[in-house]
Amino acid sequence: MNPSVALPPARRLTDLLSSGLGARAKSKREAMNQARKDEDQQLVARTQSGDAAAFDQLVVKYTPRLYGLVYNMTSNHEDTNDLLQDVFSKAYKAIRGFRGKSSFYTWIHSIAVNMTLNFLKKRGRRFHLSLDDVDSSIQNDKEFLELTATSSPVREADLSELQRRLNEAMMKLSDEHRAVVTMFHIQGMPHAEISKILRVSEGTVRSRLFYANRQLQNYLDEFRKNPVA
Amino acid sequence: MDEFDDNEIAKLLRLKRYEQPPPGYFDNFLHEFHRRQRDELLRQPLWRICLERTHDFMFRLNVPSLTSYPAAIAAVLICAAVISLRIYQEPEIARVAVRSRPALSATTNAEGEWTLASPVATRVFTTRSLRNSSESARTHRAAAPPRYVLDSVPVSYEPTFKF
Repeated sequence: MNPSVALPPARRLTDLLSSGLGARAKSKREAMNQARKDEDQQLVARTQSGDAAAFDQLVVKYTPRLYGLVYNMTSNHEDTNDLLQDVFSKAYKAIRGFRGKSSFYTWIHSIAVNMTLNFLKKRGRRFHLSLDDVDSSIQNDKEFLELTATSSPVREADLSELQRRLNEAMMKLSDEHRAVVTMFHIQGMPHAEISKILRVSEGTVRSRLFYANRQLQNYLDEFRKNPVA
Repeated sequence: MDEFDDNEIAKLLRLKRYEQPPPGYFDNFLHEFHRRQRDELLRQPLWRICLERTHDFMFRLNVPSLTSYPAAIAAVLICAAVISLRIYQEPEIARVAVRSRPALSATTNAEGEWTLASPVATRVFTTRSLRNSSESARTHRAAAPPRYVLDSVPVSYEPTFKF
């Protein structure tokens, strides 16, 4: 019997992380994060001293990422555009008060999430889905290939239809749960970062995520059992 | 496989990253941001723009770090003292003016009749004006004090040749 097979999964994961490959990837990620933080810090300092071009660089840098965050919370392109403009406008006005207690990345994300949550409370349930086009590079995505190639419920259904249903299911989640799902699953943020942005504990983030996953699973199972509905 | 598991839902959700806005959206976003900022600036009242500019200027000078709280309090106290002095002095001037007017009325009344009534009452209830304009013009020269000092002649008017 191979002893490595007998090890519990958690142990094996730890071993992988501590191995040369995992450690190298981790240190590379940390170095990239640090470089990003340093660059942001410089741009923020320049903006605070009155250099508007530095803020433009921050806008260009963060627009695609924040677009993904806000869009997946609102599911509407026009709303997302207006919100993003307001987010950057608010950030520009408030940047002089930014003391660097958190990173600019966390700060701008919390502004975006809070403004979107406020907007969604005002909007209520009156909305229509305006789905953005799927980028053609999805065809090369490893997970897309897996989902469409292997035998799974995903393969049985039309993927685009499934995506539409998934968007509908997302909109059935509460705003707070949708925010967590968006940040964790779509944006790939770690729990700690999400807890900083939402100013809640990591435990709350995990429990919201668990509950949201269960709900999404139920909605999609219903669709699989009754695709016409 | 009958049900969606967490892993598959996670994979499906991750595919949402590929949902992108219309082409060129990110290129135009910055221009749109600048345009909106300009519009917002134009919609603001003038006093607000001035206030913001002053705030920016102070921020660039880093005034808060230069002035300590005691200095700020001292400046406020000095301002308050100056303002209160001015306010205190203004009624004094007004009082002098009020006091001088009954005296005037008493002298004019002296032409007709002297009364022991209070000058204030005289002033208040007398409907006739103290001196009308024509009277004032006539008596102006007569009332003027005699002048004992000759007016000096300007240098330019003096005769050029003196013997």
